[in-house]
Amino acid sequence: MIKSYLKLAWKVLLRRKFFTFISLFGIAFTLVVLMLVTSLVDHVIGGHPPETRHARTVGIYYAEMRGEHWRRSQLAGYALLDKFARDLPNVEQMAIASMPASVYSYLNGQRVQSFLKRTDATFWQVLDFRFVEGAPFTAADVDGHRMVAVINESTRQRFFGGQPALGRTLEADGQRFTVVGVVPDVPILRVVPFSDIWVPVTTAKSDSYTREYVGGFMGIMLLEDPAKLAMTRDELWSRLRTAQVPEPGFESLDATPETLFDTIGRLFLGGQPGQVGYGRYLQIAFGVAAILFMLLPAVNLINLNTSRIMERASEIGVRKAFGASSRTLVGQFVIENLVLTLVGAAIGFVVSALALGAINGSGWIQYAELSLNYRIFGWGVVLAVVFSLLSGVYPAWRMSRLHPVQALKGSSR
Amino acid sequence: MIRHIFTLIWNRKRTNFLMMTEIFVSFLVLFAVVALGVYTADNWRRPLGYSIDRVWAVHIDMKQVSDDNFDDVQQESARQLLLALREFPEIEASAGAMLAPYQLGSSSSVYSWQGRRIAYGVAEVTDGFKDLLGLELVEGRWFGAEDDGQHYEPVVINHDMRVDLFGSAPAIGRNIANEREPGSDGPSERERRIIGVVSAYREDGEFDGMRNYAMFRKTMAGGAVGGRADADTRRRDRPPRTLLVKVRAGTTAEFEERLIKRLQAAAPDWSFEVSTLRSMRESYNGFAFAPLIAVGLVAGFLMLMVALGLFGVLWQTVTQRTREIGLRRAKGAARIDVQRQILGEIGVMTTLALAAGVLVAIQFPLLDIIYFVEPHVYAIGLAIAVTAIYLLTLACAWYPSRMATRIEPAEALRYE
Repeated sequence: MIKSYLKLAWKVLLRRKFFTFISLFGIAFTLVVLMLVTSLVDHVIGGHPPETRHARTVGIYYAEMRGEHWRRSQLAGYALLDKFARDLPNVEQMAIASMPASVYSYLNGQRVQSFLKRTDATFWQVLDFRFVEGAPFTAADVDGHRMVAVINESTRQRFFGGQPALGRTLEADGQRFTVVGVVPDVPILRVVPFSDIWVPVTTAKSDSYTREYVGGFMGIMLLEDPAKLAMTRDELWSRLRTAQVPEPGFESLDATPETLFDTIGRLFLGGQPGQVGYGRYLQIAFGVAAILFMLLPAVNLINLNTSRIMERASEIGVRKAFGASSRTLVGQFVIENLVLTLVGAAIGFVVSALALGAINGSGWIQYAELSLNYRIFGWGVVLAVVFSLLSGVYPAWRMSRLHPVQALKGSSR
Repeated sequence: MIRHIFTLIWNRKRTNFLMMTEIFVSFLVLFAVVALGVYTADNWRRPLGYSIDRVWAVHIDMKQVSDDNFDDVQQESARQLLLALREFPEIEASAGAMLAPYQLGSSSSVYSWQGRRIAYGVAEVTDGFKDLLGLELVEGRWFGAEDDGQHYEPVVINHDMRVDLFGSAPAIGRNIANEREPGSDGPSERERRIIGVVSAYREDGEFDGMRNYAMFRKTMAGGAVGGRADADTRRRDRPPRTLLVKVRAGTTAEFEERLIKRLQAAAPDWSFEVSTLRSMRESYNGFAFAPLIAVGLVAGFLMLMVALGLFGVLWQTVTQRTREIGLRRAKGAARIDVQRQILGEIGVMTTLALAAGVLVAIQFPLLDIIYFVEPHVYAIGLAIAVTAIYLLTLACAWYPSRMATRIEPAEALRYE
């Protein structure tokens, strides 16, 4: 039975090629846009290597200093993290790392640009880098101000032609570093681990960073129990409340350990200090945007399906006249719509995969590794099925209840 | 005729309601995208007021984030850097600034005057800035030695800001410092005296939506200026974050390394990064353009989908109404009448959907939801979107309406 339905559905779809094409185009296109956007978002906030302990990771990414007249908000400062965020309860380890800075090297008269991140030794324990060569720098290297560096494979390619780089030196931003390790490339949108060159934080040209409360650094924390984040947060807040702000004109310091997604939400929505959970709002905003975007394709699909069914009034009449029940007819249309939607989804899947591959290959986003998010894709397909069933099956069902004579005459009203 | 069309539309209300919903939603999407495009184009056509030919920017990384913490040593270093630039015969003109044109980031301030709040972009520049970028002075004078040690803070504004603030009344000599709020006991701001007006200046280039710009004089004089140094004035004394140089024609990239070495010698603790304003312009505009392209592409595909969908539905409708149309033809209606009827129906439906759409769209300017977009941008966006939707629906209806005229009465009446 199902087989004959499938065959029938295929024939019907082929008969009205133009309509089929429009429906498929709409479904596939909508899914492609949905996939591209979600895979970009997932690329930024999802848990991909080297962030394998992503579910237990929070960070102090953002800090704010307020006074009566001024407010300064930026990435957290090294001094704030070092003085107040160490040994917080429920925190297994905390790493401090700078935002990658763009640096230049001169190689045979050519200028080469790379990103350079300054970190402590814990950074390599909190994040799970796979080492192609060598090993991370150690706490002794950091304490000893040693000019050592971990580089990524692209940097090894640029500086050493892909040859083994251990023990060789490279110059960046007027400083010379000895390579101690090589790791695979990390995509630029993964702001926590990303860089081309990682060096000990103590190799900075000046030690002024150790006195700054706001700016340039992030604290990456591995929690013992992510459910008890509030405990960690409250302790940090109570420490900050009693803190003396060294700069004149400023009275209070604010920083919150939270997920990167929460921080992004905070930046977008202009968050208030002492409040949490901005990621939730951002999620809602994304959801509303997605629904608004899908509104037009959905209306279009409904419109097409409705008029496609109307056209087949006489076919339904004939089937009824020969004794087909309403159930059989509805079943046939369900199968037909499912086939249409699934073919559209398959096309959407292939096109998304090709588009993501093209973006990855184009170098448009440095070292991008965009990938399909199957969960979101599944939801997109489910929505497409719901809309197409609603719009295709309901009119078919109404029509299947018409008297055969009326249906045969094609009066669908 | 119109009444008749309304009856016909009402007769097929379910299908037509769906079509109108689709037109309504597409209009809103199109309006949003077109308004964005018009806003961009409107910004693009306005004059920049400067030329970036042969101008290089040297970004100074002082290894600290705050601009407000600086000491005499840093001020001295900054002065040394500016002096060092004069040693090179390759350099035609040089200046220091907080932000270079086309540099990401911005600084702005608000001036409350006569109950209006006027936002303006703030540029902090040294005396060499005007000649370096070729700014055209249309009123008053540029910064100079006569401003040293004065009790006021000299300000040069752009023409847009001059018109916005004073219309045709004289601008030179006016004070744009905010008055002390009644009841507040803080020190009142130092006088900000307008000394000149330039024909145009927009820091972030073609995409910059900020109309008003004011330039403040950066001297790095150190210590108290003009007897009374308030916090804002002190901020003007902070070392520049960018050095701008105009190199002589024919200077090659080889000069870059020598320049950096010299600057590095003058300020060993700092890092420097050179880029040409041309390349900064390219990357800034690329950055601003990418989302527009993405939004435009998505909207374009949506419109294509809508067009195909409408076309399909209308085609279907005409096929379904073969008998009705045949009857009309048999009763003596000319081909052109039939075509007019089909086009008239879609025209009326589009009008109804657009009426609802426009009602929603004009809430944006009425409620001033996006405050920096001017009403004329909305008006042009609205006009373009309305026209485009009419064209789209009529184009989609054209072929089905032609098809309807080809229905032969005899054939149609036999049609089952």
